[in-house]
Amino acid sequence: MPFSLLVSWRYITANRLQTLLLVLGVALSVVVFVFITALINGLNIYLTQETTSKIAHVELDPPSRVARVLVDDSRFVAQPVSTLQRKQIRNWQQVIEIAESTPGVSVISPIVEGNAFLVRGEATQPIAIQGVEPNKVDAITNISRYIIEGSAELTTGGLIIGADLATELGLLIGTPVLLRSERGAERLLPITGIFRIGLANLDQRVGFLSIRAARPLFDLPDGITSLGLKLDNPAEAPTISIMLQNATQLKATPWQEVNKSLQDATDAQGRTGNFIQGFALLAIVISISSALLLSTYRRRAEIGIMRATGISRQFVAIVFILQGVFIGALGAFLGAAAGYQLCVQLASITRPDGSSMLPIAPNEGGYMLVIILTIIGAALAALLPARAASAVDPVEAIQQ
Amino acid sequence: MSQTLLLAKDIIKTFRNGEQETCVLKGIDLTLTQGKMIALQGASGSGKSTLLNILGLLMRPTSGELRLLDHALTGLSDGSLSSYRNRHLGFVFQYHNLLPDFTALENVAFPAAAPAGRLTGDIRKRALELLDKVGLSDRSHFLASQLSGGQKQRVAIARSLINNPKLVFADEPTGNLDQDSAKQVMALLRDINRNDNTTFLISTHDNSVAANCDEIVRIIDGKIAN
Ligand SMILES: Nc1ncnc2c1ncn2[C@@H]1O[C@H](COP(=O)(O)OP(=O)(O)O)[C@@H](O)[C@H]1O
Ligand SMILES: [Mg+2]
Repeated sequence: MPFSLLVSWRYITANRLQTLLLVLGVALSVVVFVFITALINGLNIYLTQETTSKIAHVELDPPSRVARVLVDDSRFVAQPVSTLQRKQIRNWQQVIEIAESTPGVSVISPIVEGNAFLVRGEATQPIAIQGVEPNKVDAITNISRYIIEGSAELTTGGLIIGADLATELGLLIGTPVLLRSERGAERLLPITGIFRIGLANLDQRVGFLSIRAARPLFDLPDGITSLGLKLDNPAEAPTISIMLQNATQLKATPWQEVNKSLQDATDAQGRTGNFIQGFALLAIVISISSALLLSTYRRRAEIGIMRATGISRQFVAIVFILQGVFIGALGAFLGAAAGYQLCVQLASITRPDGSSMLPIAPNEGGYMLVIILTIIGAALAALLPARAASAVDPVEAIQQ
Repeated sequence: MSQTLLLAKDIIKTFRNGEQETCVLKGIDLTLTQGKMIALQGASGSGKSTLLNILGLLMRPTSGELRLLDHALTGLSDGSLSSYRNRHLGFVFQYHNLLPDFTALENVAFPAAAPAGRLTGDIRKRALELLDKVGLSDRSHFLASQLSGGQKQRVAIARSLINNPKLVFADEPTGNLDQDSAKQVMALLRDINRNDNTTFLISTHDNSVAANCDEIVRIIDGKIAN
């Protein structure tokens, strides 16, 4: 064992109570760091899961296309263009094959979507119709899970709508309602399911229909309007989007692009977390620095003896830096272990329905990071005391 | 023939406290020959410690020249002086001699182990031999804080010898001891001086200590009196 290590270990074990308190103080700061890291990461995971479980991870749409000019006449200031121009994917079977062979893609759902009105007596409400294959009704959003009345069965040709829309029009299961599409087609359909997902725009404005029932309404006998994809790992959506866009010439949109506010929210949480982490580290540095500074003062005469016998300034400085590193390492490992235990305990507290009270992720406590930062911080904290110790003048110290 | 170990020429030391200047050493000339045990006598406050600190390279003189073992030492850096001190000089002080949280053995070994980086088997063996020489081999694993005053000074003497110095400075080594312990310590220094030919410069204001030495150097009013 290097002699400097022996000397610094002897110093920190000479006053056990003081060292214990110091290590506990460091450990406490580490617990705060771990707790806040696990909480923020857990919150991000929870929010991301909540979002990605309800939407497509990648959406494939026909590429944007300039609308056809209806009358080419320079007398018009604004030339009328066809807004009824259909954008559709005709070769969608082929696109499905490409998507199926792309690694990381788990589910592919062809969709015929369009805008329509629900008319009941005098009342009219706009609705965005999603025509999906009946066996894929749960592929993008798990509708079955959110059904509060009726069922998610689409094969019977009925319409599934959100609870808010149902209330507004006074619709119950079995009530027939007139659906008028943007193409002017009309159909009388029964309500077969009512869902409540908890997202206002879904519960108020979206309805599900089988793709077969949707085709005549939107005048799409063969083509589809988009493809919704689910991935094994939602975080890979941007890279997989680029791959699919290149392979299919369709416009591929990763979910992150349509949910910028989620990114903003998790970024803001991250910054709050960094702030608290910074304070926890600062507390570690200050407590170690002040304790060691006090120790250099108490041991002035001893340092003077060492210097008088010709022991170098560097040796004295290293002894004090190593003391800081020992205290930092002990506190870091103790705090990381205690912080993990705390997070596990907190994560196991559940609501009556079995879900976790705190969205804390015990495995995401930043343990490696906090241990490394604490040890580096402790070494830096010891620099000032080490300088003070190595500057002790032997003559003054011995004559005291 | 006996060889010149230390040569000091016209050493002047002035302390400055703000406006006030005190000239403590007013031109000291001194030659120490190898193998002698020399007493440095003088009243309290006469400058004995100041002179020992300067000769022992712990303090720089205001002016004057110093040669040790035929090396000119004026103008060396703090680091070089420290390393020179470690390799060639030994020290015994009146108070604060040992590191209380280390054993007697570790205290003796310290000035050798720190520069070596490790407390090697050789250093440990040499430290044990020295503890045996000062009659404390049975106390080698006692913490310094558990030793009596006389035992502490004997450990300090063992420590001063660990790097085989030619010259050992002892600043009132018995000043803090009872009469019996003081006698024991002086007898020990005498022994080491006779057996190993180690040179000692011992400051004291005690006549009985001085009587034990080969030579007496008196410091009066900042100068060496003849
Ligand atoms: N750092 C210092 N600053 C000012 N005066 C000092 C300092 N060190 C010693 N002195 C003075 O120098 C004189 C000699 O001190 P010292 O060498 O300790 O004497 P001795 O060891 O013979 O008792 C004393 O008057 C003391 O007050
Ligand atoms: Mg003195």
